[in-house]
Amino acid sequence: MTLLPQKIADVIGIDSVFVDIFAAIIGAGLVGTLILIQSALAGPWAKRKITAAFTDRISVNKFGPLGVGIIIPDAVRLISKELIVPEGVDRPAWDIAPIILASSALLGFAVIPMGSLGPVNFQLADPEVGLVFVFAVASIASIALVMAGYASNNKYSFLGGLRAVAQNLAYEIPLIVVGISVVLFSGSLRTSEIVAAQQETLFELGPLAIPSWFAILNPFAFFLFLVANMAEVGRNPFDIPEAPTEIVAGHQTEYSSVYFVLLYLGEFVHIFLGGAIVATVFLGGPAGPVLPGLVWFLIKIWAMFLLTQWLRSAVPRVRIDQLIEIGWKGLLVLAFFNLFLTAGLVGVFAA
Amino acid sequence: MSLEQPQRPDVGVTPDGELNYDELAELLDGHVIDREQHENAEGFVIRPDEVSTVLQTLKQEAGFDHLSLVTSQEYQDRYESIYHLKKYKDPTQELSLVVPTTRDDPVSQSAASVFDTADWHEREAYDLVGIEYEDHPDLRRILLPETWQGHPLSKDYNQDQPQIVPLREHADPMEHRTEVPEEQDTMFINIGPHHPATHGVLHLKTVLDGEQVVDVDPDVGYLHRCEEQMCQQSTYRHQIMPYPDRWDYISAGMLNEWSYARAAEDLADVDVPDYAQIIRTMSAEMSRIAAHLLAVGTFALDIYGDFTAIFMYAITDREKVQNLLEDLSGQRLMFNYFRLGGVAWDLPEPRAEFFENVRSFCEYIPERLEEYHNLLTSNELFQSRVIDTGVLPTDVAKDYGATGPVARGSGVDYDLRRDDPYGYYDELEFDVITDDGCDNFSRAYVRLEEMRQSARIIEQCVDLLEDWPEDERDIQANVPRTLKPEPDTEVYRAVEGAKGELGIYIRSDGTDKPARFKIRSPSYCNLQTLEVMAEGEYVPDMVAALGSLDIVLGEVDR
Repeated sequence: MTLLPQKIADVIGIDSVFVDIFAAIIGAGLVGTLILIQSALAGPWAKRKITAAFTDRISVNKFGPLGVGIIIPDAVRLISKELIVPEGVDRPAWDIAPIILASSALLGFAVIPMGSLGPVNFQLADPEVGLVFVFAVASIASIALVMAGYASNNKYSFLGGLRAVAQNLAYEIPLIVVGISVVLFSGSLRTSEIVAAQQETLFELGPLAIPSWFAILNPFAFFLFLVANMAEVGRNPFDIPEAPTEIVAGHQTEYSSVYFVLLYLGEFVHIFLGGAIVATVFLGGPAGPVLPGLVWFLIKIWAMFLLTQWLRSAVPRVRIDQLIEIGWKGLLVLAFFNLFLTAGLVGVFAA
Repeated sequence: MSLEQPQRPDVGVTPDGELNYDELAELLDGHVIDREQHENAEGFVIRPDEVSTVLQTLKQEAGFDHLSLVTSQEYQDRYESIYHLKKYKDPTQELSLVVPTTRDDPVSQSAASVFDTADWHEREAYDLVGIEYEDHPDLRRILLPETWQGHPLSKDYNQDQPQIVPLREHADPMEHRTEVPEEQDTMFINIGPHHPATHGVLHLKTVLDGEQVVDVDPDVGYLHRCEEQMCQQSTYRHQIMPYPDRWDYISAGMLNEWSYARAAEDLADVDVPDYAQIIRTMSAEMSRIAAHLLAVGTFALDIYGDFTAIFMYAITDREKVQNLLEDLSGQRLMFNYFRLGGVAWDLPEPRAEFFENVRSFCEYIPERLEEYHNLLTSNELFQSRVIDTGVLPTDVAKDYGATGPVARGSGVDYDLRRDDPYGYYDELEFDVITDDGCDNFSRAYVRLEEMRQSARIIEQCVDLLEDWPEDERDIQANVPRTLKPEPDTEVYRAVEGAKGELGIYIRSDGTDKPARFKIRSPSYCNLQTLEVMAEGEYVPDMVAALGSLDIVLGEVDR
């Protein structure tokens, strides 16, 4: 399958290195815009509607169909707020943190196979280390959280930053170890090959062909991955770095206006990236019947978003010490157990 | 309980459970210099340097384990602190200790070494009246700012003098920074007065060691509105009644109004018709349900961390009971429905429709409780957060004068509705819910189950009201237009408010306005226990403990 930048370069039709770069930028812009549109939908509108549905309310409904027009006034409102710079903030770090947070999450989408829409295949790059790249850029977000927390000159932010590090350390290791167990199945770190490995039919159920998605092949790993991913994106029951009733808003406390938008946006993009990783690694990527691949891909990442909102409405937040305990004593052990089990199974079947 | 010492009968109690004040005076042997007659109990006058000895004797020998309130006041010739003592096992056995001090040297011994709860009460007395307490662990102002000049409830205080405190006299909060020693492991952090978890304007001066709370010092008074003084400047008959609604403003208005009504009716010797008492009981229990619903909802909010399903469900249900209260009183928040000698008006017409609405609400509450139990108490994540956190042991709860669901969640079987019956409660059937867990979970559980009991009480009231003969529906006793109780009559009466024992002390001076009006706020006493609950816990548990205390700052600060 031709990658998106290649396709654009082909359309332009001139064979030059500058055209390749230009095409890459255009492709990245397209994918970035697609993801930002999802976040814009999710933040001001979908989140409200979903929470309202869980709590028997109506929520926004006046402007546009189902109130979706609220996005426009919300955007104007957020951007036109005064940017308050508190006294004593560590200036370059404080300014850079929101940018890093938002961009690190976006960067992850560079290697995600998002399926095709007609003749166009939405994937920017397909390096051999694809999966590792995604995990790596997703973890950069923790650095942004620490920077934001430490540079804000606020004790609540500071506590939030520390909590973010503790949490991410405790959850990223299990997350990656579970990810590796999938690599054992597919035999490749390349995201397109991980997706391709899930296309085979596992078994026939009457007229239905059940694909060998890793979520079906190894539901245990899928569950572990979901839990670790929830902590990774910092959502209930693991929204400890923000914990509004305890430490006000954690690392976000001192941010306002555009910086706040960036932080907030970064979080939503992060949720979608989490969903994209889950979809790619466990749910067959963009695979699905009838509808085009891109649509299936979006449905899958929105399903993950819905899951985060559901948990947010229904599950209490655990305490920081309980979270660390679940991470190190529970998930990590289970993740390694899963890895050895998978390795054993793959070894037996390969032989 | 077999391991404990066999129960010794308290000194000064006759076999049929009455107090024998002569025997008590004998027990105190020589410490009692005079005896006064208050409406609710006898007052023993003692010397200001013997307070802790006398209290110790009374607590250990005579079983007075509940220091309900410390009232302070100034007369023309002296200052006076009154310690209102009760027993947790029988609050009708009361005793007042009157401690006069001279005007020139208003120093009195502190009771804080015997009762922990005296700490804040005496600080308030020092702050507002100006009595100094010797051996007090921490005698600072509590309701007013540290820079306040004078004591506003004392006689020589100039009410018209504006308090001008120049900025330079304010403590500079930034100064602490430079004083911090180089090597320290702890962090000082201000939680509040503006913080999502403080339920109002509460300020917790907290010292953290990592995530753990080393020390917490609640700073109250941000919402002090001189409620006591306003009541002292209003007439008994009509002007005071609207104020109680504004203490615990979480729709517990009926309960608050009853506290004043009970004290003033005792003072002026007013008998309330039974029909009015039943309406009072019913409306008070509706208020209790509304208050508990909000308490449970905000507690869930503190644990879940967002405006999630439980909070919204609780608000939705609270709306239903508020509609009933609106039908009854015409108001949703500041009811002003009670009158001395009864209530303002009869049930709304058509009565049958109102009864039907109340009945369906009472049937609806147990159904909803199932939902709350499913979402909260049987939720494993919730349990792991609240069980064995914010522990308040039984004897500590008693020492701090904790009452209401906070005490009952710590295994103290104490409910004024049963133990010191008023209104129509002694004719009705209901259970007092207690739980021995002593933790955050128990307090939430007690509140949930109390709603079931309240619904039971309301149903019984409706049964009674429906069958009440039409020509006997007296909603008010015949109370004179102007009430002027005998001079120097003193009364202290409490009712079971939503948060605990809500008491009123009134001293009359022969005019139509009280000479001293003192509120015993249950939130104020319960909030003191936060220190015990929070120390050594994690920050989230402290927030949960605060939520489980269910304080209302309007009532704490008055």
